[in-house]
Amino acid sequence: MPDLFSSYEHGRFYDEMFVSANQPRPHYQRLYERFRQMENIGELMHRQKIADQTFINRGVTFTVYSDDQGTEKIFPFDLMPRIIPAHEWTILERGLTQRMQALNMFLADLYSEQRILKEGIVPREMIDSCKHFRKELIGSHMPKGLYVHINGTDLIRDGNGDYRVLEDNLRTPSGVSYVLENRQVMKRVFPNLIRDYRVRPVETYAADLLELLMHLAPEHVPEPTVVLLTPGVFNSAYFEHSFLARQMGIEIVQGDDLVVENHKVYMRRTNGLAPVHVIYRRIDDDYLDPTVFRKDSMLGVPGLFEASRRGNVALCNPIGTGVADDKAVYYYVPAIIKFYLGEDPILTNIDTYLTSDATERKFILDNLPKLVVKSVNEAGGYGMLVGPHSTQAQIEEFRAKIIANPRNFIAQPTIDLSRSPTLGGEIIDGRHIDLRPYILNGKKIKIMPGGLTRVALRKGSLVVNSSQGGGSKDTWVLSDDSSPSASLSAPETPEKIIV
Amino acid sequence: MLSRVAHLVYWMARYLERAENTARIVDVNDQLVVDMQSRRDADDPNAWEPLVFVSGSDEKFHELYGEVASERSVVDFMLFDKRNPSSVVSCVSLARENARCIRDQLSSEVWETLNTFYLRLKDDDYSRFAQVGSSEYLAGIKSQLQLFFGVAESMIPRNDGWWFFSFGRHLERADNTSRIIDVKYYMILPDLQAVGSALDVVQWASVLRSCSAYEAFRRSRKGELNLHRAVDYLVRDKFFPRSMLYSIARAEEDLVRIGSGTQSSAVEKVNNMVTALHGQLVGTDIHAAIANGLHEFLDHIQERIKAIDEALFLAFIAYPVSPARVIEQGQSQS
Repeated sequence: MPDLFSSYEHGRFYDEMFVSANQPRPHYQRLYERFRQMENIGELMHRQKIADQTFINRGVTFTVYSDDQGTEKIFPFDLMPRIIPAHEWTILERGLTQRMQALNMFLADLYSEQRILKEGIVPREMIDSCKHFRKELIGSHMPKGLYVHINGTDLIRDGNGDYRVLEDNLRTPSGVSYVLENRQVMKRVFPNLIRDYRVRPVETYAADLLELLMHLAPEHVPEPTVVLLTPGVFNSAYFEHSFLARQMGIEIVQGDDLVVENHKVYMRRTNGLAPVHVIYRRIDDDYLDPTVFRKDSMLGVPGLFEASRRGNVALCNPIGTGVADDKAVYYYVPAIIKFYLGEDPILTNIDTYLTSDATERKFILDNLPKLVVKSVNEAGGYGMLVGPHSTQAQIEEFRAKIIANPRNFIAQPTIDLSRSPTLGGEIIDGRHIDLRPYILNGKKIKIMPGGLTRVALRKGSLVVNSSQGGGSKDTWVLSDDSSPSASLSAPETPEKIIV
Repeated sequence: MLSRVAHLVYWMARYLERAENTARIVDVNDQLVVDMQSRRDADDPNAWEPLVFVSGSDEKFHELYGEVASERSVVDFMLFDKRNPSSVVSCVSLARENARCIRDQLSSEVWETLNTFYLRLKDDDYSRFAQVGSSEYLAGIKSQLQLFFGVAESMIPRNDGWWFFSFGRHLERADNTSRIIDVKYYMILPDLQAVGSALDVVQWASVLRSCSAYEAFRRSRKGELNLHRAVDYLVRDKFFPRSMLYSIARAEEDLVRIGSGTQSSAVEKVNNMVTALHGQLVGTDIHAAIANGLHEFLDHIQERIKAIDEALFLAFIAYPVSPARVIEQGQSQS
């Protein structure tokens, strides 16, 4: 009997679910059985519709400004979960913890003694020329000795299925609200499957984040006030900001709600100025304080930099973390781990070439059609060249840019991102995915089990960013690997959604 | 609550109250024009011009529509023109924009009621108005707004947010009622000798109706309906919810809730201003006010309301940053 997977093509990529045709990996066995019970794609499409409607009703949207109206769209969600067995997660957790520790030590060092530069492990000019490095902060103390609190490290799996680090996001990584909402929706649509799989919960994230933020408050404050600073309702991630603020029960503020008086931060309430001790800011450094950074910023708070430098208010993430997610600095992370921890990296980088190095630059320029070239400071899939998918003219344009500004680029071989079965129109089809776990660095390092699995919904596309046609999947980290295929539970009835 | 949020809530209420009263002003004029047809041509610019003048936007109107005010141009301007910041469509759209900024603090029902209304209204125009018929169309607008206020009343928790909402609504209503009275005043200005005539009684009845005050007036003030009695009712009645005095008295109470626990001279000042206006309305002799010029009297009240708005802004929203305004730890954070 043909089932939902009978026409599934494996392609030449690492497939998350199948070893070969009709041969699922052990941790996908139960899911495979469950989906084979479905008579046709209709049932799956029906459940997909229920899920989409749930997102709309819950208002899980981001805003796209194609005209002055601003349309609210849902971040597309795919019902086929991505499953990570317990033993794989253990390794990822260790690797991510190691990376967070090393990056925190690296930032602490850059903003104090700069041993790593003095010993020539990382070239000084690389740091001095990084636009996210804040010289003004050298020598200033960070609360609890923490120089970075939240990192969203993007992982991919290569052709062999090995996890690799694609990049770090140490400024204001976004997307965690989708992880939490995706799980809520999956619990409605596949309640039994989630329970049977013993999927590790993600719901403590907001509480963990709040605990971290409270931990950063100045010592002498008995009941610290924490706020979330957003650029405002027009920001595409505003849903996430208000979602997290509500989950944590903290005030969501904009720049003009905050004032600095005598180097202390207050929020303007109708009954007076209320002291603020910790700011979870979702605004980039550049816009944070017009007296220090961009003068034209209307989003920031004049005097905030100095208030934070004096330790009167804690910022999360602190100012200046961006130097460690510069894509050229990324190149040195394995050396950074070795330098501070004396260990080999558990999670390896992708092979990377620096355009600033004369030998590597020559190699890059000779091989542009085969490489991916990225600007070191861009995010969101912007400012990059995917050699194999580009025209000669685009390649020549990048060649000129590289020669003009070698510090500004890196190159990597095109990676065959792993694929995961995804509902594409009326069939289940392989789509490329990545994974962004969220690492919190407070009293200790805490990592939410899983993270955001992003999927490139366009067939063949390697770009998973939401701004470029990406969607997401629920990520299931299993509590243990012992049980998966055993017994099948009854077919599930999804909760009725009242429209 | 955050000053910014309070300000958004306050203006949301004002915009929506204004939208409702603009619909009422157009409605009363429509009825007055019908009554006048016996002696004047309905297209007489004098029949529609007063509306624009009274809403305080005559310059804008003439800039957009030229010298002559026709029924069509005035209805367009007052109801649908997005270039007029006080048109019904503009008010509802601005209120919805404010609500969107504080979406996470409003219950879904409050937001959805407003959003649904906005989406239905935003593409309406004069031809739709004419097709449905003016009084039915305006009744539809009013009932949508009343639905919103009803939902808000039953859903918004009674903390600062509510008191700002309520204060904004009452302040705006006092202002708007004064403008509705003013429309009538403008219409009869050339005809002072007609005061007391049968036509005059019909006209005052329609002014009262536009504030839904006709039946309430008849019940509470038995006897003759004339200029003085109708104006006195709309300006000074203690029990009728759309009267100026009633609205200011409620605004005064709202403000006491808002300001409790805040000590600053700016807060004291705005409290005193509202109390003084309340006192002035109580002490007004309506015969004297009319004899000295009703328009000037109403204009003066509108000025005082505007000054209260400015004082409120300085007391709670954009107060100067100073150590005196710092809330010590442990104080209430409502």
